[in-house]
Amino acid sequence: MARRPRPRSRRRRAAPPGISYRPARPVPPCPRHRRCALAAPSGVLLVGRSPGARPRCRACPPVAAAAGWPLGAALHNTRPLWKCGQVDRPLPCPAGRLRVRGIGGGHKRRYRMIDFQRLRYEEGAPPEPFTEKVINVRYDPCRSADIALVAGGNRKRWIIATENMQPGDSITNSPHIGRMAVSANEGDAYPLGALPCRHADLQPVKSPPGKGAQYYSSSSTCGVLLRKVNGTAIVQLPSKRQMQVLETCVATVGRVSNVDHNKRVIGKAGRNRWLGKRPHTGLWHRKGGWAGRKIRPLPPMKSYVNLPRVKAMD
Amino acid sequence: MLEGVRQAQWLTKTKLVEGLPPAVQGIMDNPDLGLQELEERAKHAVSHARLWDTAEVAPRREQYCPVLFENLIHICRLMSGKYPSLSKRMLSRNCRIAATWERESTLLQVRGLSGILMNSKTPIPPVASKEEILATKAHVLETFYPIAPTIDLQEVNVYKELNDTGFRDGYPYSHPHTLFFLESANVRTDRFRPEQLRAKMLMFAFGNALAKAKALHGNDPKVLEQPVVVQSIGTDGQLFQFMVFQLNTTDLVSNDGVKNLVWIDSDQNLYEKAQCVPEVKKGVVLVRKTWEMILEMLPFHLGWGFESWHRAATGFEPAGGTRSGHWPHFYLSRCF
Repeated sequence: MARRPRPRSRRRRAAPPGISYRPARPVPPCPRHRRCALAAPSGVLLVGRSPGARPRCRACPPVAAAAGWPLGAALHNTRPLWKCGQVDRPLPCPAGRLRVRGIGGGHKRRYRMIDFQRLRYEEGAPPEPFTEKVINVRYDPCRSADIALVAGGNRKRWIIATENMQPGDSITNSPHIGRMAVSANEGDAYPLGALPCRHADLQPVKSPPGKGAQYYSSSSTCGVLLRKVNGTAIVQLPSKRQMQVLETCVATVGRVSNVDHNKRVIGKAGRNRWLGKRPHTGLWHRKGGWAGRKIRPLPPMKSYVNLPRVKAMD
Repeated sequence: MLEGVRQAQWLTKTKLVEGLPPAVQGIMDNPDLGLQELEERAKHAVSHARLWDTAEVAPRREQYCPVLFENLIHICRLMSGKYPSLSKRMLSRNCRIAATWERESTLLQVRGLSGILMNSKTPIPPVASKEEILATKAHVLETFYPIAPTIDLQEVNVYKELNDTGFRDGYPYSHPHTLFFLESANVRTDRFRPEQLRAKMLMFAFGNALAKAKALHGNDPKVLEQPVVVQSIGTDGQLFQFMVFQLNTTDLVSNDGVKNLVWIDSDQNLYEKAQCVPEVKKGVVLVRKTWEMILEMLPFHLGWGFESWHRAATGFEPAGGTRSGHWPHFYLSRCF
């Protein structure tokens, strides 16, 4: 098997304003545009628009509008998608200087394309509840949570695994909001309007609906559905901030996996370097008012719902 | 294939039977066929492939897997003096197979290079009796909800439903006999796992059998009077998988009716370990380099017209002891 050509060393040059990253070599089209010629898309490279953004092809619209998704062949090809972008290196800001120091190096990581949209239907499938089976739960180097390979119908995909997800479990994804609340099992994905208000742990919530999960996908995080008001749902984030979203937003029930992630001991400086954290000074220096714990009232509730303004009746 | 052999069974409407067919087992256990001289040859064959055939320390799998296969085939060819019908075989490599069938409103096809194919002048007679074939009507194919049986299959646009054995009409060696699959990639992720290898063997054996059946009996779906039997052997150099596939029907659209049969003997070790580098522990040499090979007690079958022999486990241990085993057995094809 021929080895992939290693990227040439990139000379750091001042990037034109508005573009924070530019790849040094031509990028082939992403698998979405080659869906009809479904060989195993070996060697496909996706480009990140900005540091930390999910990789997308240059011609491809943002993830929310993308109707296609790499099919099963892309998940398990022999040359997986390498993490693109220079995330491991110090990234220059538009002025050409380093904005965040202490990033660089680190072990090479293969990026697994996680499907953050649980209610993604197969091609030609009706928008109805469907079941999937968990094939495998494994470690992901790109995030603190574990990921699960689930298969349903004719496709397989990676999702963020919940705490007690085991291979062989069945998970349900449903878009319907019934009159009565659903007693959901861990790992199932339902709209917030269908879930009971309790200390039910939730994880990734799509806000706004259809965009793909944005909130709490880090290990051992979870949210709480507080109350449902008038077609919207109030959810508490892990930072105790409250958020108002439409009740059609889908959430997965259960805590995110890898619960003991914060209890791990790094052990040595080298392990931090493997994680891509460069040494930085200032650890034992005198700090000012910006450091330390702050005790302040919670910020106001964030509302992602455009409610019609109530005008005063004349 | 995600579900392995179970998925291949649904796609080919097949019932699985563990172990090789009893007729084949009976021939295998026949002690009259004299195999002592082959034991030495087999040891040499494995030693040559795994230890001797390289200028480096140890040969790589890409190198030793085909060499091992060639050596074992050569041993089998040596028996054609005693059993002349063995010479009426031919090996072909890079043979293109094409077979198309419909399975519950889904059009499936097997296309591509089907490994190493051994053809013969006469077909293999059916292994299962009529009663067993009719008994498969009661068998229910296994489904795995919520996973569709066509998962992991490549979707292509089919412009021509092709059924082609890979050989033109009038070729003397026209009946597919045995397929050999060598997983000889060096990197483990490029090789098929044993379960996936068995599924691949089943699919290609079915493809060859179906193409031959359609060439003989036409394209109409029906239950075959003369079932077509194709054997298959897959290996990664150490683990061997043996399979006998019998195609009973080409009516594959519905889930009911007569089903095809497959006998699988999986995960047979030819040898336990081939030590190329001397193992040294605390300054004491435990296992000497070369000539040291520990063979397993498990039976080793070689499908060349179903000649196979049980191997005794004898090892050259530094202590000098040899383990005695039962005499190796040897049996030949029933095609004569």
